[in-house]
Parts: sequence; structure tokens; C-alpha cells
Amino acid sequence: MKRELTETQMFRAQDLLLARATVGLSDAEAAELAALGADEDLSFDLAAAAIDLATLDPRDLEAGLPPGLADKVLGAAGVPPASMSMSSIPTTLAGVMPPRPLPVRPAAGPPEVAPVTSLDEARAKQQGKKRSRAAVIGWLAAAACLALAAGAWLWASGQKPADQVATVPVEPPPAEARAKLLASAKDAATLAWTATPDPAAKGATGDVVWSASEQRGYMRFVGLAPNDRTQLQYQLWIFDKDRDEKFPVDGGVFDVSSTGEVIVPISAKLRVTDATLFAVTVEKPGGVVVSKRERIVVTAAPRAS
Amino acid sequence: MHASPDMSPADAPLLGRVAAGDAAAVRECIARYGGLVYSLARRSEAGGDVEDAVQEIFLDLWKSAPRFDANIASETAFVAMIARRRLIDRRRTRGRRPSTDPVAEVPAIPDEANLPDTCAEASQAARALARLRPEQRQVLLLSICGGLSHGEIGAQTGMPLGTVKAHARRGLLSIRAALLGVQQEDLP
Repeated sequence: MKRELTETQMFRAQDLLLARATVGLSDAEAAELAALGADEDLSFDLAAAAIDLATLDPRDLEAGLPPGLADKVLGAAGVPPASMSMSSIPTTLAGVMPPRPLPVRPAAGPPEVAPVTSLDEARAKQQGKKRSRAAVIGWLAAAACLALAAGAWLWASGQKPADQVATVPVEPPPAEARAKLLASAKDAATLAWTATPDPAAKGATGDVVWSASEQRGYMRFVGLAPNDRTQLQYQLWIFDKDRDEKFPVDGGVFDVSSTGEVIVPISAKLRVTDATLFAVTVEKPGGVVVSKRERIVVTAAPRAS
Repeated sequence: MHASPDMSPADAPLLGRVAAGDAAAVRECIARYGGLVYSLARRSEAGGDVEDAVQEIFLDLWKSAPRFDANIASETAFVAMIARRRLIDRRRTRGRRPSTDPVAEVPAIPDEANLPDTCAEASQAARALARLRPEQRQVLLLSICGGLSHGEIGAQTGMPLGTVKAHARRGLLSIRAALLGVQQEDLP
């Protein structure tokens, strides 16, 4: 407990901590616990966790995740399966890495040094710095190279519009939320999209708004081809200056329902400290962990300072 | 709360490396704690989407990794705590109890000869649970492991609501005291 509490307050704090450990708290209760200065007391939560641990079957604990689920979890974290050679990554688009430390209370011990645990990782770490700018340039180059393939096939012809603008539910409506973000976040930057020659991006304009402080943002498109979500979906990737650029953050999968103005909230799966490039690809339904970069439709990057 | 015992390399904490962005640590973390997370999700999400819960828990774990402090808890207990929080949130969001079973089962407590070696907290909790009064233990297990509300526990056991609350409170305080290695009366 952070501060001296009366006996009544102490009892109430214990009640709330007990509730948090067993059935959870409402927003009001959580605020009350914070006001009592007791919200960082983890002892009740850990006691409940220990009870769970004491009563689980050890065989289940050793069994691991069912086949396939571990790959899904890795995919959600944007980490390639262990069987994938890191040396193959430069030719593909990896997902996202785990988060960098957040600004939280300091740990008691010295910071841990991340060891290199495999040859692939050692190679990746050695090469990571060199590729830091090259990866971004590579993306832009890849987008440019798509000009050669422009017209090779038409993508959007004859496809039915999807029934929703975005797969990510938001409240208030995206246009209103975007305007509010622009008004409220001092660091909210608006970056114009640059369309590639991909057929889906023909004549597409718009911008991306991103606030690093709020970790929120919105994509705005006009003229981006509607997609049939059963066949293809768009996926946003965010490159972060503080991360290895081989591992852009997955910004979410989304659909476009019309060629009119469409605003899509960004759903960054991990914290983005300093976005250096936003890129939208066309992927299979549900998105991918590793993009083949076959279809990049738009990119947006801050102007070099 | 926790004093780290001697650790083999296989038990060395991973979350610091996860927080530093080590992809190999992420894979090791999933391999090491996948069974734990899956077991907790299955226990809480009976009839629900266990796989979805597991993915949410691991995403929470990656975000929470920088907060892990080995001086406060073992990594296993920390992972279980993060998992429990997410599962409780999911239950609250659903607005219903986790199990469709009419009567929640009370899990067995391992005896002294079969204490779990999952982590120090698990064996300490098992010992402390064994020392509780039977009705206290029953309420606590139905609450913690069964995910039942106090009202549901009262309905299942026939105990008055006030009694259920008192047992839950005293029971969890006892386990907490055991983990902290102090007498309950000495705790704030």
C-alpha cells in the first residue's frame, strides 16, 4: 500500500484486491482501488494464481499447446516459427517482434542482456543495423518495381464490395475519432499515401494519421479498390525506428467497401515508438505473418528531417 | 513474495529477454508456458473459445513482460497471474460464468508427497490450502479455480452469502500470508 490508510480504508482495499483476484473489478472499483493507493499490490493476484497452479495437473502443464495453436500465438506476436531461417527474412516481410519495455516501475535487478541463442539470431543481429535503412529502402524499391508488373493482371474487376469498411470495431465512428485524434494529440502526424502502380491503388489517394503518444491512428483512402474479403484483404505494416526493420509491426487487416472515402482505424499489435514507414499490402483473408510483398498498394513515410 | 531458488538454465527467466525483443525467447516462452496458459484457459473457458483466450493471454504477456520482477514472484506465477487477469476480463465481458456445468467441481489438492514442483508458490499454496478449514478451502477453490461468484457458490453449497464472503476472504488472506512467509495477523 502506498500511503497510510485508516482501518476502514484498509479493509476496503483488501476487499477490492480480493475481488480483483477472483472476479475482477468494474472501472469504478478499479479507480477506487487506485485512489486508495493499493492498485500495485499484486499479492492477492499472485496468491490466487498460486492456488490455480497448485491444483493444475502437472501432465497438462508439460503437454504444451495443441498442434497449430503455438504457431497462431507466434503469428499473433509476429515471430516466425523456429524452423524458418532468419536468413530468409530479408526477402520477405516478417511480422512484429515483442514489445520494447514500457515506461513502468523499475525492476529491482540490473537490466537483462538479451543473449544470442542461435546462429541465425547472431547473424540477424549482426546484419540488423546494416539493414536498418536498407529495409525501408527495399520496401520502397519493391513498391517501385511493381510498376513493371502493372497491368499484368487486373485485380478488382468484377468483385463484389465487402459489406463492412473495416474489420476493427471503433467507437465513435472512424471519421469522428480521426478528427478528435488530430485535435487532441499534439504529435499526431498526417502523412499522404503514395500509390504504387498496383491495379488496386490506381488513382488512390489519402493519408495516414498516427500519434505515437496515444498509439492510435487512422488510415484514410479515396479510390482504393474495394476488396472481396473472402478472397483478399488489405494489411497495414508499420516500420518502427526502434525496431529491426525486418520486423515491421502488424497494423491490422482491413477491408475497403467503396471507392469513396474510407477511414480505417489502425490496430497496431505492438507499441510503435517512432514510425518511419507505413505500407499497405494485399494479402489472403485474415492477413499474414510473413508477407511476400507481391502486392504493395500504398506507402507513406515522414519527410526526412 | 518470492525468493528465487537455484535455477537451471532451463528455468532461467525468459520475460526479460522477451521484453528486449528476443524472438527466440518468445518461442521458448510459448514452449515453456503454453501448457500452463492452455490449462488455465481451458479451465476458465469451458464451452468458450479457448484458442482465442490463449492468444489474448500471450499478447498480454508480451506487453507485461517488462513488469516482471523476480524479487516479487516466480516467472511461472507471474504468467499465471497475467493469464488469470485476462480470463477474468473475458468472463466479465461475457457476463456469465465460465462453465455451463450445473455444478462446478472442486479440484483436488495434492498431498504432501505429491506437491507440485511447478514453482515455489504452487507448493506453498498447496500446503496452505491443506491447512484451511474444509469449508474455507471449498469456497476458495470454487471461487479461484471454478470462477464462481460468491452468489453462485452460495447457491451451490447452501452457505449464506455472508459466510461465503467471509470464507473467501479469510482463505485468500491465509494463502497470501503463507506465500509471504508471515503470520496473517502481521499483515496489513
